[in-house]
Amino acid sequence: MPITVKLDDMLHDRRMTLTELSEQIGITLANLSVLKTGKARAVRFSTLEAICATLQCQPGDLLEYTSPQTKESAP
Amino acid sequence: MALPHSDALALSRRVLRVLVALNLLVGFLIVALLVASLIAPDWVMRGLGVSTAPNSPPPLLGLRLIMVVGILATPLTHVALTRLRDIVGMVSAGDPFVVENAVRLQQIAWAVLGLELLHLAVGVIRAIASLDLHWSVSPTPWLSVLLLFVLARVFRQGALMREELEGTV
Repeated sequence: MPITVKLDDMLHDRRMTLTELSEQIGITLANLSVLKTGKARAVRFSTLEAICATLQCQPGDLLEYTSPQTKESAP
Repeated sequence: MALPHSDALALSRRVLRVLVALNLLVGFLIVALLVASLIAPDWVMRGLGVSTAPNSPPPLLGLRLIMVVGILATPLTHVALTRLRDIVGMVSAGDPFVVENAVRLQQIAWAVLGLELLHLAVGVIRAIASLDLHWSVSPTPWLSVLLLFVLARVFRQGALMREELEGTV
């Protein structure tokens, strides 16, 4: 999928674990893991809101779009 | 008084298991009857209480054709009953909205369509062989076929929507 979730980087920058985030925002660890590994097919606004409120970031900081052509041409 | 949900499902599964076995038994009996009609036609005719009227074609060929139709109906009925049993099993397990059940419903629809065509074939044989059989055409089974195909489509859409929702965080 050309959309990448940068949750891992965000958590690393804030020295926070996925379990801690899960406890703070009230979303199961399994669901956050799905989001982190890029297996999610959609994200609710409420989930984005909770993550952004806790990590003090913008939705755009969490998501990145990479064009499939750019990916193919990358060395 | 309405049965509790789980009791109704358990009862349905038991009834379907019995019907599957009965259908296979009836299929086997029809095969046996067909074979007997080839080996000892007079004995079968006497057993069925069929008498040949003067100036009319012998009814044995028509009866044999109806037996063949009955044999063909057995696997179709088996498909419909076993698929329904599997759907009831998945409802009991609490996960009925899956693509597999949509496929099963479609298979049931095809099986019922096949059975209805065989029913029409019986009517044609009855008319040609001048057999004294009770036979009538009703629009209800044809409507059921249509409903089953529509329901299969609805199930497929529902299963896809559920799949999408499952991937939502």
